[in-house]
Amino acid sequence: MTARSQRILFWALVWFCILILSVPTVIVVGASFTTANMISFPPEGFTLKWYGKIALARDLQQAFVRSLIVSTVCLIASVPVGTLAGLALSRFKLRFANAIQIYLLLPFTVPLIGSGIGMMLVFGEWRVLGSLWPVGVALAVINLPFIIWSVSSSAGALDGDLELAASSCGAGRFETFWFVTLPGVMPGVITGGLLMFVLAMSEFLVSLLLTDARTVTLPVQIYNNIRSIITPDLAAVSSVFVVIALLAVWLLDRLVGLEIFLKSK
Amino acid sequence: MTVQIAAKADATQAAREVAVRASHVSMDFGSGALAVDDASFELEKGRFLTILGPSGSGKTTLLRMIAGFQKQTAGEITINGKAVDAAPPHRRSVGMVFQKLALFPHMTAAENVAFPLKMRRFNPRQIAGRVDQFLDLVKLGGYGDRRINELSGGQQQRVAIARALVFEPDLLLLDEPLAALDVKLREEMQLEFRRIQHELGVTTINVTHDQREALVVSDNVIVMDGGRIQQQADPVALYRAPANPFVAGFLGLSSFVEGTATADGNLKVGDLVVQGTAARRFETGAPVVAAIRAEQIRLAGTREALAACDMTLEGRVCDTIFEGERQMYVVEIGALCGATFRVYHHDPDSFGLFRVGDPVALGWNRRDLKIFSPAA
Repeated sequence: MTARSQRILFWALVWFCILILSVPTVIVVGASFTTANMISFPPEGFTLKWYGKIALARDLQQAFVRSLIVSTVCLIASVPVGTLAGLALSRFKLRFANAIQIYLLLPFTVPLIGSGIGMMLVFGEWRVLGSLWPVGVALAVINLPFIIWSVSSSAGALDGDLELAASSCGAGRFETFWFVTLPGVMPGVITGGLLMFVLAMSEFLVSLLLTDARTVTLPVQIYNNIRSIITPDLAAVSSVFVVIALLAVWLLDRLVGLEIFLKSK
Repeated sequence: MTVQIAAKADATQAAREVAVRASHVSMDFGSGALAVDDASFELEKGRFLTILGPSGSGKTTLLRMIAGFQKQTAGEITINGKAVDAAPPHRRSVGMVFQKLALFPHMTAAENVAFPLKMRRFNPRQIAGRVDQFLDLVKLGGYGDRRINELSGGQQQRVAIARALVFEPDLLLLDEPLAALDVKLREEMQLEFRRIQHELGVTTINVTHDQREALVVSDNVIVMDGGRIQQQADPVALYRAPANPFVAGFLGLSSFVEGTATADGNLKVGDLVVQGTAARRFETGAPVVAAIRAEQIRLAGTREALAACDMTLEGRVCDTIFEGERQMYVVEIGALCGATFRVYHHDPDSFGLFRVGDPVALGWNRRDLKIFSPAA
């Protein structure tokens, strides 16, 4: 094959992938501007009225605030746990390190519906269903492997002599951790934290099982609304989601640089 | 220059005191052979010691035990008279420059240098001044605000030196920090290490596999191989009087001849007696090995031209290698059962005086051919 036809094939493949990946987003964002009363693509005309509508819809607003709370709880719970676990797995020669690693990755292997029902039972037993924080904790548990991976890949890239250098500078174990190790893995912590936040914002299945009318989060609220009729205001809500995710990616790029996030070392 | 000489005089005066003493130190990683095997040495205050050896000789392990990163399985290490075996690294007054420098990437140059002062609870009001003073010492004045990745390799070296010295440790350790540099920069930094060490008079232990570096920078050299200390001496004595065939082969370029000892302390190869100098008496007929350095052999077209030498032999050139400032010849001596000798030849007028296959004569003085018992 000539270099020219190779290049054409290469770019055709690239554009095909880009198209497949972006079609849902493009359709949803496009549909949110339609003037029709049914969701439609390509949009008929252009209007911002659906955004105006969701800005006034109290149920969506409250669900959005609840989602923010849940995501924050998830962030607060997962960052310390995930950071310490990720560091421990990559920095120390632990006995049973493999077993521990598999154990920490278990949430990935159990189907979400299974862990959701399990947590529903546990939180029900504790009589805490109906508050928001158990939802945040549950999302921290099921997504924990993401932040562990992120931190341990960051820690793996760290020069092991840094900690020895700190101790020869006079730093004890805690000072070494606080001034050298932790700043060293900070890119991994920030990446993992943002990932946890975004994942918690959009998690649906476990949230569905753990929420009721008082604690419904945004993805669940959207699902509830769809069941009656698919109106363009839901496309507008989804577009807001897309913007939040883009915001998170932009923040990531500003704070640690996207290349750290993209190359898993 | 005067500053250096004065500092050197100080160093000599303080030289009576022992700064570091290792007695019968061994390290067993449980992998069969000992990584460090019964190493004992003393280092006087203010001196610059280099531990020289090939990779896997145990030199870095020995250094890491002195730093406190690893604990020896036997023996005792004292720094300034105090046993440090129970002290973790941060309780020892030891500065270290690491092989890969291990500068803190999230801090500026000045923050790196200030770190040991903060950790060692120096008066916060004096820290900034002291950091500036040490950045000046390593000729990085004005670079304090740079991030580590904004500095060149040589500048990073200098930050690492300043960080290791800023708290005025009792001992400075250098773990092959120059190994990764190109030759020009390495030679520049070797002289810098020496200048700074003389200026501060800090006791220093340097680890390297670079024999030239060991000879250039050190007051004292320990040669290690296979976990054992082979010889400790000052650079000149080490080079001129190697203790065994390993040291003779590791420093400089030596040629070796195997034979048996004669009654009068010479070497017999086949029927030919070769004059040399034995470090000790050998039994007549005992197997021995002789070593001679490439620059101590004279080379000429005929034996008559080498009349001044104690020993002359005829041979044939089997290879010539052009090394820039000199030519190296490999010469085979038929009378010594075909043993080959490597000879440096400096000829300011013409290079390549002899060609492969030419008959030549070699000559040397008997004190330059060292006779040892064969390597174990």
